Amino acid sequence: MTTLTDVAPTTPAKHRAEATTSLPPVRGQSFLKLVGIELRKSVNTRSGKLLIAAIVALALVAIGWELTHLPDGPATADRFLGAASTGVMLLLPVIGVMAMTSEWTQRTALTTFTLSPRRVRVQIAKFVSALIMSVVVLTVTNLLALAGTALGGAVGGDGTSYSGLGGALAGSYLTNALNVVMAAAFGAVIAQTAVAILVYFIAPTAWSLAGPALFKDNANWLDVFGAFGRIADRNLHGMLPETLTAIGIWIVLPTIVGLWASSRREVK
Amino acid sequence: MITVENLTKRYGSTTAVQDVSFTVQPGSITGFLGPNGAGKSTTLRMLTGLTPPSSGTATINGKKYADLPNPGRIVGVMLDAAAQHAGRSGRETLLLNASLLGVPKTRVDEMLEAVGLSHAAKRRVGQYSLGMRQRLGIASALLGDPAVLILDEPANGMDPEGIRWMRGLLQDFASRGGTVILSSHLLGEVQATVDRLVVIGGGRIVANGSLEELLAGSGTLVRGLDPIGLNEALTAAGLRPEPLHDGALRVDATAEQVGRAAAAAGQILLELRQSDGAGLEDLFFQLTTPTAAAA
Repeated sequence: MTTLTDVAPTTPAKHRAEATTSLPPVRGQSFLKLVGIELRKSVNTRSGKLLIAAIVALALVAIGWELTHLPDGPATADRFLGAASTGVMLLLPVIGVMAMTSEWTQRTALTTFTLSPRRVRVQIAKFVSALIMSVVVLTVTNLLALAGTALGGAVGGDGTSYSGLGGALAGSYLTNALNVVMAAAFGAVIAQTAVAILVYFIAPTAWSLAGPALFKDNANWLDVFGAFGRIADRNLHGMLPETLTAIGIWIVLPTIVGLWASSRREVK
Repeated sequence: MITVENLTKRYGSTTAVQDVSFTVQPGSITGFLGPNGAGKSTTLRMLTGLTPPSSGTATINGKKYADLPNPGRIVGVMLDAAAQHAGRSGRETLLLNASLLGVPKTRVDEMLEAVGLSHAAKRRVGQYSLGMRQRLGIASALLGDPAVLILDEPANGMDPEGIRWMRGLLQDFASRGGTVILSSHLLGEVQATVDRLVVIGGGRIVANGSLEELLAGSGTLVRGLDPIGLNEALTAAGLRPEPLHDGALRVDATAEQVGRAAAAAGQILLELRQSDGAGLEDLFFQLTTPTAAAA
């Protein structure tokens, strides 16, 4: 071998650490750090920013529509919250899906999992980050809805009504959290963004249509929308076992399967 | 130091990597050479914990990759320069990794400078050429000041100036005690950069040794004023010359043996040297063709 000896410095080899500026000591990666990184990843790409902008824009359009179609009587917070949340509830779960799938479709999983080989921790950090992200976005749209209510009251001249506000807010956060976790779980099981989103939207709806025809009242046991509705009402109407079963099948099971699958999946 | 022991990966009935063992010592650059589909990337992915092996073990400084507390501080890895998010800037990509590795932001700008990407730091990676992505990948691998580098086809997509730059960078890294393994199917690139070779073909190691040892096997190249006379003289001396298309002969013997045999027969030599380049290429094809691998 001649080339190396020609080029390599003739001075004795130094220890490599001496030649570079000293870096802080090596520490493990705390879970909090992982969550922080995942949060940052969800907003520092163009598609991430666009998604959040789209959700807020949709809420603004809905609030705008409500403002221009004010009914008689006081402007109710309930109405504005409902209007703002319709589109939000539809798009927020996409944050959950994309948190789990974008690494695989963008192939950044290669870097992510070489830098953090304990994948389950990273995946759980993604769940937490998606939840935090969705709560923040929902808070923004809820605040916009409340501002819309106040504006509506001023414009309409009939005042405002905030009755049932607490319940509506609690319901929106609960449903949001369940939706996002369910979407993230679907994303973890199916690592393709488009397919995961499709399945997330179609499978529970298909069940809610086909289930009652096939299983009559027993379909309640697997009706996740019904369960969400009862949880949002914070009144289970005596259907605790049904609610738990539906949540177990549609949220807990896909979460476990998704964590298992993504920890075994080969990164290419 | 990298230690790979009896690593095997099966996909159903096909075996991608079979019983692969080798070590990479500190202070050396090992070329992991083989044609496409030979099992190079699969081996490197098993080494970095991305692909679970069917059997065998791979360790870095005595530890399994997944057991390293913060692997990026020990091992710099670049397996695919194209696998970076197109929507992030080069600097943002490195800042994310720096935060995970626990190194200061100043290190990011240092590395961007070191790989010559300072001018493009704020551009989205989607607008980078493949060569620029390779540089970004190398910056990312060096970010945690690792002792070991694992690079899959790092020269891919780089211009000659870039390849030369990387050669200097890796040789400097190794001369300071670093451990480097880089894969390639480009023989010329490997020959000028590495000091050891692990050659893989059909999922098996077919050659493993220093570049000198492996090149020695390809013998001596000799050219004489009278090719036919020289051929006869060498044959008479018990050597087995192999005529090349341009009139030169390749002999599986030392230069001294060939020179003495030629002198004894009064043959005039025009050229006498260790066979290289083409020799390695021959070796490469010979070692990696299915018949040779099966033998």
